[in-house]
Amino acid sequence: MELREILEAFRAADPAKMKERYLAEGKKIVLTAPVYTPEEIVHSMGLVPMGVWGADTLLERSKRYFPAFICSIAQSIVELGMRGTYDGASAIVIPSLCDSLKVLGQNWKYAVPSIPFVPMTYPQNRANEAGRAFAKAGYLRVIRDLEAATGAKFSTDALANSLKVYNEHNAVMRRFAREAGKYAAVSAYDRSAVFKSAFFMLKEEHTALVKELLAALEGTEPASGPSVVTTGILADSPALLGKLDELGLRIAADDVAAESRQYRTDAPETGDPLDALAAKFAAMGDCSVLLDPSKHRAAMLVDTVRGTGASGLLLLLTKFCDPEEFDLVIIKKACAEAGIPFLSVELDRQMVNFGQAETMLEAFCERLD
Amino acid sequence: MLTLGIDIGSTTAKCAVLEDGREFRALTLRDSGVGTDGPQAAFEDALTELGMSRGDIDCVCATGYGRAMWKDADLRASELTCHCLGGVFVFPGLRTLIDVGGQDAKVISIDVGGNMAEFVMNDKCAAGTGRFLDVMAALLHRTVDSFAEAAARSKSPASISNTCTVFAESEVISQLAAGAAVEDVIAGICRSVATRVGSLARRLDVKAPVCMSGGVAKNAAVRAALSEYLHVPVLYDERAQLFGAMGAAIYAAGRRSKE
Repeated sequence: MELREILEAFRAADPAKMKERYLAEGKKIVLTAPVYTPEEIVHSMGLVPMGVWGADTLLERSKRYFPAFICSIAQSIVELGMRGTYDGASAIVIPSLCDSLKVLGQNWKYAVPSIPFVPMTYPQNRANEAGRAFAKAGYLRVIRDLEAATGAKFSTDALANSLKVYNEHNAVMRRFAREAGKYAAVSAYDRSAVFKSAFFMLKEEHTALVKELLAALEGTEPASGPSVVTTGILADSPALLGKLDELGLRIAADDVAAESRQYRTDAPETGDPLDALAAKFAAMGDCSVLLDPSKHRAAMLVDTVRGTGASGLLLLLTKFCDPEEFDLVIIKKACAEAGIPFLSVELDRQMVNFGQAETMLEAFCERLD
Repeated sequence: MLTLGIDIGSTTAKCAVLEDGREFRALTLRDSGVGTDGPQAAFEDALTELGMSRGDIDCVCATGYGRAMWKDADLRASELTCHCLGGVFVFPGLRTLIDVGGQDAKVISIDVGGNMAEFVMNDKCAAGTGRFLDVMAALLHRTVDSFAEAAARSKSPASISNTCTVFAESEVISQLAAGAAVEDVIAGICRSVATRVGSLARRLDVKAPVCMSGGVAKNAAVRAALSEYLHVPVLYDERAQLFGAMGAAIYAAGRRSKE
């Protein structure tokens, strides 16, 4: 395929169409909620994991279950569930990584009873023996619930194979994250589409397509102009991405939960696969929903901005996201001390007017200029 | 070289014409903003004042909420950048600028070189903006312009919430029903705006000299309350409402001289 066709293939990975395709192929779909779910287990059982991060939509029905001031990602997942958007899925795995996600899981049981809720309870203190045992117990619960909900069977051999599939995907996504900002052909919107499509496509297909993209990009026109490192939970708003492209602001690297944070850590490919998955979770870090008393994320971001030669750091703050709001202060201070231009823009799944966010981005660019 | 800045705000339109990046030749203002004929009228006022036509202007820069609507612009710049440039032009050495307009508030931290170092904007809320004063003035059957004089006569400013315009409206009615003097209520309203804007400013490191810009800057009671809240003098210039347009003209001159 030509470069344009490959980029268009990522844009065209519409979740509704992908869901219909998988169902037509006789496959069963399991929804995976933010921020981290053990997709490898779902994949190893012959099921299709499809990420659900909500959508930019008006919230109506879900308001019955949520207070006003809560994360709109969680709210819009329930909204779409109640509207029937996810109909056909066999189960949903919802982790317990923040207070809003805990509420999401509990509300889901009553709001969307047709799609069974599978909880994934993670340990706070994950990087010790007890933490790894706790995570493994959580995985065993997920396996048990998925077997009951879907009739599929789990095997350690199949999981060992899925770990390899996911590790390969992680590697190719890390390479894409490093390379994307270097080419003029990859707009902010295209970059987002590559990450977003990974939640809707089987990893084997996605890995192949990203490899094809990277090969097609070689030798094409290099990007120019200022660049930023993005951080936050989500960065998929078309209005925001369009504004970045309009301003000629490239994304040199990201620390976005729905993007690169998913692919930083591989699972060991030796030993018991469930232990390996627990070891992977134990090794993860630099994320607002993963306990880190030292808050190393701020130093990591400063290093990333410096390492990529980016002009500044852009924090895309999901409205009412407590974990990100706690980190914001620490990150802002670290940037000030390092002399790195920093901007925080608050975004919401329900936003229809981006005027203020656009003004802030324009002013940020003018400041970089 | 003549450059023209046009600042199209939510409730007003302003124009400034600058000669050679140094001297302002015309400053105009119309009390109607985005979506009205105010911007065109302010633009034509400026040209008429100088006896010139559009062809005499080397560069037009649009700023403000309606900047994208001005089709005749050679350049566009954010109002944050423009208010900063206008403020530093009027007050050399300025370190903090607080702009309170018709529907939003912004605070800009300025470095020693006169460049914008950091900024914050208010949440999407009318509290702490010109809209809050408009609503209160309508409620009291007064004009916003009369607030400063009335507040100066206050002996005991009333306590008015700074969190929500709708709640504050009912608070004002409750205060009046309880027999509070109108001037005390007005002083409370001005303090409410100042506290809201001041707490926004405190998200940054407020360094003196500090000035106010935007339409609300004209209100001496708000300026005084803000000064008291931040513990710094708040500078004011009669052109405060025009800083955005002036900054846009300065921005255009800077861009043209670089070319």
